[in-house]
Amino acid sequence: MIIGAGPAGLQAAIHAAKRKADTVVIGKEMGSALFEAKIENYFGLAGVTKGADLLATGQEQAESAGAKVIRQNATSARQEDGSFAVVLESGTEIRARAVILATGITRKKLNIPGEAEFLGRGVSYCATCDCSFHRDVPVVIAGDESEAAVSAELMTKYASTVYWASDSRDVDDALMEKTVAAGVRILDTTIAEIVGTEKVTAVRMADGTEIEAKGVFIELGGKSSADLAMDLGILPEIDDTLKVSPDCATEIEGVFACGDVTGKPWQLAKAVGQGAVAGLSAAEYAKSGR
Amino acid sequence: MVTELTNQNFEEFIGNNKVALIDCWAPWCGPCRRMGPIIEDLANELAGKVGVAKLNTDDNGAIAVKFSISAIPTLLIFKDGILVQTLVGLRSKEDIKAYVMSV
Repeated sequence: MIIGAGPAGLQAAIHAAKRKADTVVIGKEMGSALFEAKIENYFGLAGVTKGADLLATGQEQAESAGAKVIRQNATSARQEDGSFAVVLESGTEIRARAVILATGITRKKLNIPGEAEFLGRGVSYCATCDCSFHRDVPVVIAGDESEAAVSAELMTKYASTVYWASDSRDVDDALMEKTVAAGVRILDTTIAEIVGTEKVTAVRMADGTEIEAKGVFIELGGKSSADLAMDLGILPEIDDTLKVSPDCATEIEGVFACGDVTGKPWQLAKAVGQGAVAGLSAAEYAKSGR
Repeated sequence: MVTELTNQNFEEFIGNNKVALIDCWAPWCGPCRRMGPIIEDLANELAGKVGVAKLNTDDNGAIAVKFSISAIPTLLIFKDGILVQTLVGLRSKEDIKAYVMSV
């Protein structure tokens, strides 16, 4: 099971599937740093190539090799009886003998006015950590994907009102339904500015409206690579990267990592190279029945 | 050694240590679990110079409220019993040490 549908994850899938391992890739192409990139320094590719085109072709190659690609984020992971289980945003659980973390490095910040100033004074990047400090007050969640939805749903148990601001939601229907049923108020706009004095008092939205809020939870993308790694028993480095051996193995047997999540250089060539290594290592491990 | 603080012994600890570094954390907080080993290292390295302690904000909400903590991990640095620095979020050992030594 490969978490992450960028170049590292897809190359890992191509190699693992060709080695006849049952291979599934979990992730969204737009979650990859390559999606918006233009490539002009990759071996054998002349001119400028759009990253999105490479991802589309890479996904087709992975599927032709026999891999299944599920366009969802992972919301949690765990180790269980010598194998691994990952829960998708739809709630479906997938099990595997080996896991490859190819999540990339998650962008965490919105980089909007007030964000840095009010960190720890209303602004948080971890609803799970900070939910209990925001009892009976209005809060706003920012983010387009599963982590924002999961966080918004969690916050309905604590906050008086939970708003979820996004102008381009990309979550599974089942998760969206669950979030709305929990009472989350949906705003089809983004946060332009976080305002306050000592602490956050309100957010100004891109559509010009202002909403009273005591908490702002910034939860971009899917569950972060660091959190997934911790779910699996791996302690990430301080910069959220994961240490791997030359065969892309992590400290936990059966868990491999490749691509940007293993640290610099953040280059397509390195992601693809490590993806190949991780795919082969994981396929060998999964089939060995150790 | 990292001292475990509570609402009851908090004031005594910051009073008894010229410089005190308090790690405010909770068990379900991922970044807090990553901060744990860093704080333990710092406690050993700074033994005799800085009092290093942990405060579980879930069990000791009164202190969290007193110091307006709304995100964890938060590190509080006290000098002569007075709060001189608040650091929010996961930080490297070197970063924390530099703050502690500069107060």
